[in-house]
Amino acid sequence: MKRAVIPHLIGLFPLGMMSFFFLAPLAFMVVVSFYERDPLGFYNVAFVWDNYAKFFSSFYYTVSLRSLWSASLGAVVVVLLAFPAMYIIVDMSRRWQLFWVILLLSLMCLSEVIIGFAWLILFSESSGIPKFLGWIGLWEDPDSLSPSFGAMLTGFVTLGFSLVALMFFPQMAQRDRSIEEAALTLGTPPARVFSKVVLPNFLPAIISSVVTMFVYFLGVFVMPTMLGRPQDWNMTVIITDKAVGDANMPLGAALSVIMLAFTLIIICGLLLGSRRGRVQT
Amino acid sequence: MKLRKSNIVAAGFLTVSGLAVAAEEITVSAWGGFFEETLKAEIYPAFTDETGITVRSIAQPADQAWMTQLTNAARAKTAPSDLSLVADEVFLRGQSIGLWAKLDGSEIPNTATLLDGFTKIDDDDTLRAVGALSWYTTLVTNSEAIPDAPETWADLWTRDWDGKLGLTSNANSGLMEATALTFFGGYEVMETREGLEQVIAKIAELKPKVQLWYRDEGQFQQNLEAGELTGGLYYHDVTMLSAANGLPVVSTFPKEGGILGDAYWIVPRDSENVEAAQKFINYMIRPDVQAQLARKLGVAPVAQRETMDLTDEEFSAVSSVDTPIRPQTHIHLREGDWLSDKYLEMISQ
Repeated sequence: MKRAVIPHLIGLFPLGMMSFFFLAPLAFMVVVSFYERDPLGFYNVAFVWDNYAKFFSSFYYTVSLRSLWSASLGAVVVVLLAFPAMYIIVDMSRRWQLFWVILLLSLMCLSEVIIGFAWLILFSESSGIPKFLGWIGLWEDPDSLSPSFGAMLTGFVTLGFSLVALMFFPQMAQRDRSIEEAALTLGTPPARVFSKVVLPNFLPAIISSVVTMFVYFLGVFVMPTMLGRPQDWNMTVIITDKAVGDANMPLGAALSVIMLAFTLIIICGLLLGSRRGRVQT
Repeated sequence: MKLRKSNIVAAGFLTVSGLAVAAEEITVSAWGGFFEETLKAEIYPAFTDETGITVRSIAQPADQAWMTQLTNAARAKTAPSDLSLVADEVFLRGQSIGLWAKLDGSEIPNTATLLDGFTKIDDDDTLRAVGALSWYTTLVTNSEAIPDAPETWADLWTRDWDGKLGLTSNANSGLMEATALTFFGGYEVMETREGLEQVIAKIAELKPKVQLWYRDEGQFQQNLEAGELTGGLYYHDVTMLSAANGLPVVSTFPKEGGILGDAYWIVPRDSENVEAAQKFINYMIRPDVQAQLARKLGVAPVAQRETMDLTDEEFSAVSSVDTPIRPQTHIHLREGDWLSDKYLEMISQ
């Protein structure tokens, strides 16, 4: 009996950490989301559904659909770009592999704000890509490319690219190449090997990285405000506006709880779907 | 009152200079950036020389975010600073929940030379805030892109801005008031929600012309100076300083008037340095210091015109004799949540 106590105690450690860093703030957020807003001050302790009711106005509804759209599009694009890039990199010589990995790691050190500013300058009419295109004669009357949805998405991709690429790296470098070689010697064209052998093997990794990026992009604040138009602002921006800007903590908390529920439902759906898909094949 | 013990160097200095008081320190917060930097470099040192009170200057964020911090701090019974520069709306919101300390009017005799309405006395006859400065928001343009400066607020709607206007993303910038005055004959239209919706719909007509709905002032200023934006709504004072530095920007008072906002000095409730803070306020509103503020910061003074030694030229550079457009703070307070939702909805759809 005594021996069984110690593993249980060890199990308490992650529970304690989770409660302290995640569950307690979350519980507080849920509690605040039911408080009553005091327009002149802060909030009054109460139990009201008003804050949740506000979400079901068309405006918040549109914004949340919009954030889901931009986050999922960003996630798919970044994985579509990073996966083939890594596929090529792991076949390079050791020295070049090291070069790319170091480059990707250093890209991760850049803060969101720095990346945002860099793109802001590159997209500007007076000093960036538009000016260059005008100079070489490809664009007659160059205009600033930001703020726009495309600029915001570019920011998303820059943020997520190194993360996704490095997530694929170990698995891809150590993959069993004998299956691909067998397919090639049996006369399968390389493009078909990629689509029929490599991709299915990496499907779980691809799905999990898409989900990770989706969640990451849902919470991005700087890129939409810096590079996006007001039409592109996501729920995170609106929550910040409400909670910090208008000091409306209860509404900010309620919107956060709703977004959290949305995210959980989508992740569960995707993971369940991918698991079922694997069982069938 | 808590006196901060001086360190050895300061004590030595004070002994030499023959002052009998112990060194006091107050923390003063003002809007971060150019404002706070200029106050710290140009205005506070003279106050320290005169009174021996050292000023620790800190930057405060935009009004609403600062209000949130002040409220949170008050809940924890602390004060983030001993003095703070706040806009009208923040002052009123803070007053309604008792965020500000009581001030003793007899300790601030220079209020006698202030313009009317700049001493804020609450229902209990207690002084809660004293005017600090006023600032104008006007129509600003890049003179290379727009050679003829605009004349009226209606120019926003009628002129060709090449789709490169910059406007603020919040409802209380004064644009609503300017729109009401220009197109609806006055502020009365803003008294009802239907009226406010009409004003917002009028502003929505500008959307195709607007490239940047800014929340960060620096971004607007940078883009205007670089010619990425052709014009927009911005602070008169900062624009005048940029123009003086040779940048191609112009600030114009439209014929309906510039938008005039007021800032007040308040002492957070839990500050322990109220007496030193009162000395500070008394210094900052003195006519000669008000004139200094006009010269160095380009803000409109709150002291009576005749008490200051500003020349006509200096005065007209920072202010205007025309009736200004006044933010309808009572409407923004009453309809705050509804209005900010409607406005956000308008710009983001």
